[in-house]
Amino acid sequence: MKQPWAWVIWLVAVLVMLTITRNPLYLVLIIMCVAFVGLALRDIGESFPQPFSMWKFAGWIILLATAFNALTSHFGDTVLFTIPGNIPLISGNVTLEAMVYGATNGLILTGMLAGFTVLNLALPVRDLISLIPRAFFPVAVVTSIAVTYLPTTLRQIQQIREAQEVRGHQMRSLRDWLPLLMPLLVGSLEHAMQLAEAMTARGFASSKPGTSRQAIYPRLLMLIGVLLLAAGWVVQLGTTGWSGWVLIVLGIILVISGLWSLGRQSRRTVYHRPGWGWQDGLVILGVVLMIAAGTLPIPGMGGETMYYEPYPVLKLPGFSLWMGISLLALLIPGLVAISRGAKEKRFSEVEKAGG
Amino acid sequence: MKSRLFSLAIYLTATLSGVLVLLYPFFLPTLSSQTGFGTYRAGEMPALMTLLLGLCLLVLLVEAQVPVMNTKLIALLGVLVAINSALRFIETAIPGPGGFTPIFFLIILVGYVFGGRVGFLMGALTMLVSALVTGGVGPWLPGQMFTAGWVGMSAPLLRPIAGSIRSKKMAGRKVGVNLEIISLALFGMAWGFIYGAIMNLWQWPFIIGPQAQSWAAGLSLGMTIQHYLAFYLVTSLVWDTIAALGNVLLILAFGAATLKALRRFQQRFAFKYSVDGNNASVRQGERSAQ
Repeated sequence: MKQPWAWVIWLVAVLVMLTITRNPLYLVLIIMCVAFVGLALRDIGESFPQPFSMWKFAGWIILLATAFNALTSHFGDTVLFTIPGNIPLISGNVTLEAMVYGATNGLILTGMLAGFTVLNLALPVRDLISLIPRAFFPVAVVTSIAVTYLPTTLRQIQQIREAQEVRGHQMRSLRDWLPLLMPLLVGSLEHAMQLAEAMTARGFASSKPGTSRQAIYPRLLMLIGVLLLAAGWVVQLGTTGWSGWVLIVLGIILVISGLWSLGRQSRRTVYHRPGWGWQDGLVILGVVLMIAAGTLPIPGMGGETMYYEPYPVLKLPGFSLWMGISLLALLIPGLVAISRGAKEKRFSEVEKAGG
Repeated sequence: MKSRLFSLAIYLTATLSGVLVLLYPFFLPTLSSQTGFGTYRAGEMPALMTLLLGLCLLVLLVEAQVPVMNTKLIALLGVLVAINSALRFIETAIPGPGGFTPIFFLIILVGYVFGGRVGFLMGALTMLVSALVTGGVGPWLPGQMFTAGWVGMSAPLLRPIAGSIRSKKMAGRKVGVNLEIISLALFGMAWGFIYGAIMNLWQWPFIIGPQAQSWAAGLSLGMTIQHYLAFYLVTSLVWDTIAALGNVLLILAFGAATLKALRRFQQRFAFKYSVDGNNASVRQGERSAQ
């Protein structure tokens, strides 16, 4: 599976499923599927080094989200204990329901983090950059650099903290964080310098800018489009008819036309355009069916089990077998990776035997 | 010159349209005769607001990115956004007290040192990237990107104050050494409250609460502001005070060292490559001196 868009669609599917369900059973199932894909990529050696222990980090997120919600939200009937006094936010009943709600938040965060981690494991930077819309290429490159560099930053924070601890540095007050922040900032800026030189050497953004007329025409479209949007918004607020909508739709068309026209002026060289394979089609088909199962009111599917609220009294979350099976579509990229890994292994064994 | 004026027109139009969309609860009563507490078009308004803010944001981003089209600023912004997103990620995992967040500290200082456009991109992209990795993507995201972008974009407005402090120093008059940092800290404090007040607006009209704190169609502008102030005092003041104090503390503790590092790298980044070779590749500002 080498088509970056297939991976992006897989990630969007993970995020959609994590957003539409608060059932802890489904959340755990989604996280396990995502972890399986990550482990499959690691086993066949298609991934980059893992920046930090995902499991340890996930444990902390869930623990802290549980503790935070338990201490600040005092709803729920199953009171575990009471914090006395008048401490703002904290004082009051600590309930089992609030803990479960907090742990669910932690599970959602963990799932999202795991999804992005797998995307970073699966796609090299060049593939992420190939996804950039042409009109936004500087902004999109900044975003892709930041997304790619984020795990490295987290690893750097950990390394600097450990190095300062070895030197006997202790975090007692806010000022003691300065020896952690400054090496991080300066190290990252040095990295930016190297990155800029590498990008310049590869000819990034080296094309000549267009003529002023070329640059002004799409911007004029966008300017008129924004004016129409603002006018449509005011009209729509004051009336219930269609006139506001007409102006808003016209504004949207003009803004998108301006962006499209601007994008056409940006020339982009593609050294290698990744193709589509049957594996990519299989992943997209699987996740589209899964999202349809999760969002459409299909009889017998058990869509109602997606919604779970621990308040006011904790009860066991429901589980639909069909819904559970549909979530297994998230495993497809991992299965594809394992199958390709096995094929490549067989091929290399045959080559060795022949040579 | 024409292009700069045009650029200014786009900035102003997109920014004012964004403000118009965000502040609609205050002028809606004068436009509509419908009444009802906390339920007015609750179905369509958040989606429409998100769509329009998103489009205004796209236009602003397109305009802000034009001067950033060089590899040095792109790489610089990329790593700075990554640092800020990592800080927000840690803050999400280990929540600080109240509305404390470490991200505005760097947005303000980067905007202050590198200028309004870079500051805008720093604020907006920090919110985007950190939302992607912390699961904060939602209808509030365009509003967050817009407002955080304004934080960075407005930071260079402090430069005249810093300039006057420097000129007094150079003239030999004794001025407190940290006045620049103190002015930045006060700026951070102000944004701690303003950011919270703006971000409440996208949901306030749809929150059903006590009548004196709720939005209602048909109220006068004065009464709407009064209701919003009551709502803000009850629900957000303590939260935003912690956010504002957090900004102040971070800027006071780390501001001077961070400014020094950013300025040093600003100088290192201020050179242009030339096809004519080393002799023609000079730092910005040096050519006129030669």
